[in-house]
Amino acid sequence: MKTHFLFPNKFKILGWILFIPSLLTFMLASIFKLDIDKYLNIKVFAIYQESIGQKPGFFEIIEDSFSYELITILIILGGLFICFSKLKNEDEYTSKIRYESLVWATYFNYFLILFFTLFLYGMPFLNVIVYNVYTLLIFFMIRFHYLIYKLNKTSNDDE
Amino acid sequence: MMTNNLKVLRAIKNISQEELAKKISVSRQTINAMEKGKYVPSTVLALKLARFFENPVEEIFSLENED
Repeated sequence: MKTHFLFPNKFKILGWILFIPSLLTFMLASIFKLDIDKYLNIKVFAIYQESIGQKPGFFEIIEDSFSYELITILIILGGLFICFSKLKNEDEYTSKIRYESLVWATYFNYFLILFFTLFLYGMPFLNVIVYNVYTLLIFFMIRFHYLIYKLNKTSNDDE
Repeated sequence: MMTNNLKVLRAIKNISQEELAKKISVSRQTINAMEKGKYVPSTVLALKLARFFENPVEEIFSLENED
């Protein structure tokens, strides 16, 4: 079947390889409040930068820690590859499940944001915004793979 | 919404879900879901099934009364 916007199946494994270590690092760093922002200091190009103790400016080369940037890139790329690589047996039915999972995950994600907007104040809410960079991908990933797992299981039972 | 007699046709031809799935290039799970009425196939897939079973589409799929 012709599918638009999906990566070949091989990208899924690459996705897991990028995603798992970077997500673990991110989670450990935030649970144990590790300051990973002191590693990997390199020169970066900033379209705009503004940090405490520095003069803000456009289009500058500055020195900055690249650790969180690297982790973010790896989690997002890995997540996209896991979510949007073709399954081994991608067909029109799995595409429908994919679509419905994406709708479900979007609702769930924004429902949580609405909930926390109403009931979390101050710093904890900022954390919600930070985690939200990854949550849509993660919710979709879980929902989609759960439904595919259930599908495989039920149709194995009854033949 | 819609019913089909895929299971019967498949029994007449004496072929498994797996074999049918291969013939029309979908997964076995999709055949299973259609037989159970959980999935309504696209027009392309319906026509492929019709061609395989040498039956008009309306003989394989039919609307339920409320439609």
